[in-house]
Amino acid sequence: MNGAQLLSSAFVVTWLSASLRLAGPVLLAALGETFAEQSGVLNVGIEGTILLGALASFLASYYTGMIWVSLLVAVLVGIVANIFLAWMYVTVRASQVVAGLVFNVLALGIASTIYRRAMGNSAVPESIAMFHPLHIRFLSDIPLIGPAIFGQTILFYLTLLLAFVAHFILYRTNFGLALRASGENPAAADSAGVSVYRMRYAGILISGATAGMAGGYLVLAQVGLFRESIVSGQGFIALGIVIFGRWNPLKAAVAAIVFGACDALQLSLQIFGTRIPPQLLLALPYIVTILAISGLFGGKAVQPAALMSPYVKD
Amino acid sequence: MLVTSFLFLSYGAGPFQAYFALFHEPFATLRGFGYALVRASPLALIALGTIVSWRSGFMYLGFEGSFVIGAAATGWLALLTAPGSRIGPLPFFLFLPLAISFAFAAAGMWAGLVGLVRARLGGNEVLISLMSNYVAIFILQYLVSGPMRAPGSLPETPLFPRATWLPFILHGTRAHAGILIAIIAAGLVWMLLQKMPLGYEMIVTGFNPFAARYAGIDVGRRLVLAAFLAGGLGGLAGMVEVLGAQHRLMDGISGGVGFVGIIVALLARLNPLAVIPTAFLYGGMSVGADAMQRRASIPSSITFILESLAVLFVLAFDALRYYKVNLSVLWRRSPPPVAEQVSK
Repeated sequence: MNGAQLLSSAFVVTWLSASLRLAGPVLLAALGETFAEQSGVLNVGIEGTILLGALASFLASYYTGMIWVSLLVAVLVGIVANIFLAWMYVTVRASQVVAGLVFNVLALGIASTIYRRAMGNSAVPESIAMFHPLHIRFLSDIPLIGPAIFGQTILFYLTLLLAFVAHFILYRTNFGLALRASGENPAAADSAGVSVYRMRYAGILISGATAGMAGGYLVLAQVGLFRESIVSGQGFIALGIVIFGRWNPLKAAVAAIVFGACDALQLSLQIFGTRIPPQLLLALPYIVTILAISGLFGGKAVQPAALMSPYVKD
Repeated sequence: MLVTSFLFLSYGAGPFQAYFALFHEPFATLRGFGYALVRASPLALIALGTIVSWRSGFMYLGFEGSFVIGAAATGWLALLTAPGSRIGPLPFFLFLPLAISFAFAAAGMWAGLVGLVRARLGGNEVLISLMSNYVAIFILQYLVSGPMRAPGSLPETPLFPRATWLPFILHGTRAHAGILIAIIAAGLVWMLLQKMPLGYEMIVTGFNPFAARYAGIDVGRRLVLAAFLAGGLGGLAGMVEVLGAQHRLMDGISGGVGFVGIIVALLARLNPLAVIPTAFLYGGMSVGADAMQRRASIPSSITFILESLAVLFVLAFDALRYYKVNLSVLWRRSPPPVAEQVSK
């Protein structure tokens, strides 16, 4: 193997591995968001929920040192936070975009206040217990793709599994049918005996659970500490992934990996030094998403028809 | 306010002391007052943009993006007039109108594209404008780390020539003429929405696009116009910030101001005249919060909680009022059966 080949194979390995690593948390958040949007609620508040989940898992891991418990705490915090959001969206019937956006600001305030309160003003980041990349015998030893595909943390495989579970629930169960009906035609669903409010609460709480878990994923498997800027728009990216994946969990998984690949390509290219501006690659997923939802390719027809419209039961 | 008092108590500081610290610095010291005005100017302009677009039924969320585009356009123009460059120094009375129209047009077209997509293709403006924020931020990142980068370690442009800065309006403070631009803009937006047929048509479009179309209003054109004006106002906010406060372009210049401006608009209940005092109050509180953090070691992030809870209370209160109306309708409806029985 000569130098150039070595360089390119190293490039592929780091690129693949980073793509999958970056795709994990956003995919997790996007899976839950798919449920919320299929039930007719655009939950913009997942950005803030991810932040709260990240803080919760960081503190839990800091005080207990048990990573699975910390992940569970993150999920619970996500659910609790989204009970409030669901109340605003469904019961109060506030504008979903406004309530979600304002909630994100509230979550930022709460998270940074609690973090400073718990950690004091010490500038030194505290280290916590984390998930480690797996090493699967034989599979992880396959040259090139082995370490990239079979050397992720357990959370990545759990997320992929959840994508299949989510797809099954949405398209193969009565609950999934009722949920999608609530987002497509709530009045018809209601007259068929489906409680639209309950379905929407369920959708929002599921999105809260996965968003909280995504925060835990970020902290426990990737960063290992908490910063106020830890989420930095990943919740919004998850919104984009849901659309790009056409409100389908499996397509969302593909979309998340495409997003991750663009993000990682920019990282790898910076290491190897090229003349393409990295920002072009970073912006590419957003441009593609904008084109995908602009209606140029008929995306409108796929969107849940009652998305963003509160339901008033007569 | 009551909720936040409890938050202060948990820090071992009396709520009155904390509120004193929060409001004393911005509203009782000249220096703090100046900083409050500096923070209020872009917020007010973005809030005005929110009002124009949301009242026309266009849920534009791309103010981070239009802020950045306006700032970048202004920066390009300002550096073009640097001494020794292609155009050379311009007198300020020529430069300012040029900068205003250029920033307004650039950011307006940026947002107008989203409006066009919504009007012609039916795309969802909420998500498209959210995504467009990132594209704009990456464009700025590219500009300051590539073509417009100043020699040095930080990704930023050189300092703008002194002649392009907005004049400071209060001696001994950093307060600049941006707040005057914001006040004029508030007056113009109020005129447009309250006094002009065009503004009336835009509001009708927002209330009920079908009725508007029935009344002969070109709904699509009003939407694109609303988007253009909203983006333009966001762009002005960017211009005011770079010419008044930062005096150079750098990465991360918007820092969430596009979303806080929306919150200011909501707190002002989408009333253009209420925007200026609300933005000033918000700017003052963020200045006071920094002072509070220095003196009473209460984290400044508490103001985020205060502000967002205020909006959420407003939202929930609206809903409660709605329920009341609903109940009274039920109550009024119940007598008729009795009346029918009597007539039979």
